[in-house]
Amino acid sequence: MADEKSANDQTNASARDDETDVSRREMLKATAGALLAVPLLNADGMATALQTKAPLFFTPAEFALVDELTEIIIPADEHSPGARAARAAEYIDYRLSESFTDEPKKRWREGLKLVDEISQQMHGKTFMQAAPEERIAVVSRIAGNEENPQKPEEKFFVELKRRTAHAYYTSKIGIHTELEYKGNTYLKEFVGEDAKK
Amino acid sequence: MILFKLSAPQAGEVDLGKVYDAVVVGSGAAGGMAAHTLTARGMKVLLLEAGRKLDIDNELKSTEWPYEHPRRGEMPPDRHAISFNEYTIRQPPYAANSPYKNVHSYVQAWGGSDYSKNIVVDEKDHPYTGTNYAWVRARLLGGKTNIWGRLALRLSDYDFKAKSRDGYGEDWPISYKDIAPYYDKVDLLLGISGVKENLPYLPDSIFQRPIRLTDSEIKLRNGLAKMGRVLTPYRAGVATEKLAHNKYRNRCYGRGACNRRAGGCDIHAAFDSPTGLIYPAMETGNLTLRTNATVSEVLVDSNTGRARGVAFIDTETGRTYEAKAKVVILAASTLESARLMLLSKSRQHPNGIGNSSGHVGHNFCEHIMGPGVTGLVKDRVGKPRTLDDGRPGSFYVPRFRNLAERHPDFIRGYGFEGGSGTTMFPGEAISMPGFGKGYKKTVRDYAGAFIEMGAFGEVLARYENYVDIDPEVKDRWGIPVLRFHYKFGDNEKKMATDMAESAKEMFEAAGIEILDVNRRVLTEGWSIHELGTARMGSDLKTSVLNQFQQSHDVKNLFVVDGSSHVNAACQNPTWTIMALCWRSCDYLADQLKKGDL
Repeated sequence: MADEKSANDQTNASARDDETDVSRREMLKATAGALLAVPLLNADGMATALQTKAPLFFTPAEFALVDELTEIIIPADEHSPGARAARAAEYIDYRLSESFTDEPKKRWREGLKLVDEISQQMHGKTFMQAAPEERIAVVSRIAGNEENPQKPEEKFFVELKRRTAHAYYTSKIGIHTELEYKGNTYLKEFVGEDAKK
Repeated sequence: MILFKLSAPQAGEVDLGKVYDAVVVGSGAAGGMAAHTLTARGMKVLLLEAGRKLDIDNELKSTEWPYEHPRRGEMPPDRHAISFNEYTIRQPPYAANSPYKNVHSYVQAWGGSDYSKNIVVDEKDHPYTGTNYAWVRARLLGGKTNIWGRLALRLSDYDFKAKSRDGYGEDWPISYKDIAPYYDKVDLLLGISGVKENLPYLPDSIFQRPIRLTDSEIKLRNGLAKMGRVLTPYRAGVATEKLAHNKYRNRCYGRGACNRRAGGCDIHAAFDSPTGLIYPAMETGNLTLRTNATVSEVLVDSNTGRARGVAFIDTETGRTYEAKAKVVILAASTLESARLMLLSKSRQHPNGIGNSSGHVGHNFCEHIMGPGVTGLVKDRVGKPRTLDDGRPGSFYVPRFRNLAERHPDFIRGYGFEGGSGTTMFPGEAISMPGFGKGYKKTVRDYAGAFIEMGAFGEVLARYENYVDIDPEVKDRWGIPVLRFHYKFGDNEKKMATDMAESAKEMFEAAGIEILDVNRRVLTEGWSIHELGTARMGSDLKTSVLNQFQQSHDVKNLFVVDGSSHVNAACQNPTWTIMALCWRSCDYLADQLKKGDL
């Protein structure tokens, strides 16, 4: 351990057993995380488009498609913003851009193509050209066999959803706003019921 | 970091010209305890650790949020964790021909693993061969205690005298009354939380403040009570109250999420060997520590056949050195200590040091795991969010098989570890079908309503389950590696069937809706509780060590880790490893003072 750090730590010796102080300060630190999620919303509490820099792996058109798909899977509702506000597509793009093999990249590129093809078959237009209800109809079709996916588009949906759920529920919005997670903070006492109840 | 923390004290410089009172190989639960006990008794101890001394707090980053990490806690893409399928389908060495830069054991795949990538070994450097086995190793100061699961249980005479009860295997050369005072000492030195239950087959510790239970767990406990079974709060080897005698450790502040990155506690409320044992040992001025020192052989005096020290390799430079000591203490872990004994061949010890019985490496046992149950507590659905994981563990269901009545299909027993309620990541978000607002609301409403448990059962110690030295394959430092000859047997398979059935039956009794009954047995090794490869006993032909973990053949050789255990019982072994080691080291220090070593 660095000397500088230990010297600094020793100056805090008096605070060591001051539990109230510890938990109060740590509590503030934890709630700061929840508060930071707020600026991602506009006045109506609805998600706004957030992508500012160029995607790392997807083309801009693919990125827009992924962004829309993630928002359909986990949309904004009255309780919290959705996958778009949580920048799920940005995280998926980053992780795909550095994937160790080309396999996932290929799967995603082909999967997105299939989404557009199915949209063309169903509605005579690409996914992004389709109306909101038409888009949901396309996703319903590829999500139809989620527990036992057979067709390539069904398999793609499982991966799309897994990545979306992972990205969303590990984001600030997912953890703090949507799930209102209470942990990862310093407590004075364990929560829960007394074991002898 | 807000909490006050002390850095490690300075250890003495290594003097390889000197004859130390004892050289200890390995710095985990056993090696730390050996160093602690012996230095407190005034002995000059050299502690050798194969791994590095890491800035562990900086590795663990225990309170970092997923979104504060560029990969949400996951490893860089050129690192790989071996999956269950790979363990099953492929043969060791699992990292052979892997395209990945680094390959790690399965624990690196646990939800977020960038925090333990420098703690568990790279399988490429540390191969092994033979039968399928998920061998998890941590090479660093403190070993696996840096990331252990923290469940701290005692064994009882149901375990020590198991042969007397059911006729199988061997009894231990000790009884509960021999080790009980040392369990007490470990409790008080290191801190343990729990609730007294007065169970003869799972003796109570001297507990600090217990972990509380969730509503769902109370419901399960009440269901079990009707069946005459017990659910008790997790007996965690965690200081839930401040330990006045140890300035390197804080008490638990219930931050939770203790499991999300293969354990680890950066405020050291959870026991780990460095802050719990080694730093206090350094303060005596009697401890010398050398890390990056991989021991390759126990050296033998060619006249007397006694141990005279060890040969070790500096893992940075590759140079070989010798360390001299009056007593050699192996605490390198069950499998590494056996490996070292088998590698230490000499004229007097042609089968490896301490191995005149031929039992070194044999009677290898552990815990079988996998079967369990997941359920839904319906009255928790849609309830306001509660904090359910601000605890270092949830609950434990002690063994109930083969106590008063004999099960028709198998001998010995198993216990369950479980948990319930909200976690930081809602696992059901992956498994729940659907999409859109309905899906999102369901994930939210169900997030605190799940409860699950999984069993750990005794694998019988059998001579035919063993490790030996591979004649060809060597590790990165040129040391021959272990070859596994190890399989679960019929008793384990029948027990595993019963684990799943009884788990289901208990949830049903508690009125918990069953979502999934898991019957899959995980790969051998998964429990990370390997034991028994140099067992204690009074018969020199069938055991390696006496009741003080002293070699029958070589009086100044002690093996103080899990390799000495005569059976695996079904309780997690760490607390027993430390209690036994403390007892043996007290004996060792007495003997050395008397001049009997």
